[in-house]
Amino acid sequence: MNTCRDIEPLLSSFVDGQLAGDERATVVAHLETCEACRGLVTDLERLRAAARVLGPIAPPDHLWLEVAGQIRLDQDAPQVSAPARPARRALPQWLALAAALVLVTFGVYLVDVLRTPAPPGDNRTATSEGPGSVEAVARELSLALEHYDNAIVELQKVAQTDQTALDPDVAETLKKNLTVIDRAIADSRTALRTDPQNEPARETLIDALKRKVGVLQTTVSLMNEMRKGDAAGAARVAGGKG
Amino acid sequence: MNEIVPALHRDLGLAERCRAGAPGAFEEVYRANAPRLFGLACRLVGRTDAEDLLQEIFLAAHRKLGLYKGESSLGTWLFRLATNLCLDHLRSRGVKFAQVTDALDDEREVAIAQRGGVLSAVERLDLERALATLPPGCRAVFVLHDVEGFEHKEIGALLGIADGTSKSQLHKARMRLRAALASPATRTLGQTS
Repeated sequence: MNTCRDIEPLLSSFVDGQLAGDERATVVAHLETCEACRGLVTDLERLRAAARVLGPIAPPDHLWLEVAGQIRLDQDAPQVSAPARPARRALPQWLALAAALVLVTFGVYLVDVLRTPAPPGDNRTATSEGPGSVEAVARELSLALEHYDNAIVELQKVAQTDQTALDPDVAETLKKNLTVIDRAIADSRTALRTDPQNEPARETLIDALKRKVGVLQTTVSLMNEMRKGDAAGAARVAGGKG
Repeated sequence: MNEIVPALHRDLGLAERCRAGAPGAFEEVYRANAPRLFGLACRLVGRTDAEDLLQEIFLAAHRKLGLYKGESSLGTWLFRLATNLCLDHLRSRGVKFAQVTDALDDEREVAIAQRGGVLSAVERLDLERALATLPPGCRAVFVLHDVEGFEHKEIGALLGIADGTSKSQLHKARMRLRAALASPATRTLGQTS
């Protein structure tokens, strides 16, 4: 007599039609008398069917611009050795430095300040004034975001110096992306003002800021093509032609 | 066969135009394939890393287009490339696919099973959310098998695990998803019995 525990590990293979011979016959015989395992089979079939129709997920619009820009830069770069992860890194000269400063500054803040757990034995309540308290987290978050905002302002200044060089359609796409991102930033900040320890809001804010830097990097890389005097290259990047 | 060959010729032609730098050619490749590859990356590595990975995938594809010989469709070639990059990413994060995911508490599983079927319609968003909570090893097997339609043998080769391990991980992933997606009322019944 086979118990449910004996049969259960075989049920996924059963619903996938991968059991044969005695094994399959054993499962079929058990299912005839066991309502619980029949229910489990029904659930596994439902899961399987639901997974099959999980479709594609549209990537954010700005990703193509970033890919096209990176490909253009990749083609221009001396072919020494391919970096493992060139995205958001293969930026030339001052631009790379500016972007790195932004990311490092914010990264250091996030890692060292926002995600530092309270020390062992620290049993102060979340509303006290000590490290890890609501007030302290809010203060540090505010400070970190201020740093990030300052860096973004600098990138924006660069990005806005000569935007007439950009293709109007590309400029419009960049603008739309920034509008959506800015809305996400504003919503997250509102949520954090109400609840500074709101983890989803904090993650959304971090993600939105990261996206904003990505879009600004793309904008500046297009500008950089123009500064290098490579109008044709800029046009190709701006037109999304790798 | 008569339909496949022209499609492969088309793909080879498109790859050739990309290599020659024809305007719009690589964007055509991106637009046709990015949503599927982004879905794969989101489910395997999570949304935030998926954005960086998608860029990496298409940069790698652009560099390697010369290796595409038309033995499969360009979409399949890209999908393999993307799968390998996603799995490399997980390995770089310390995921060991050969390490079998622990089963859920057996008693709870059986308790739920004793009530018969616990799932009604499985909503896409609920499934995506539940999927994100799985351990990376069994999640990868579930995504590759149930979402993307790979066979256990292919999954074994991709992950460097035995076919049997792939089957066992798939079952554990499904059981965990079932527990996560069970209606709250059913979960309560299962936990209190």
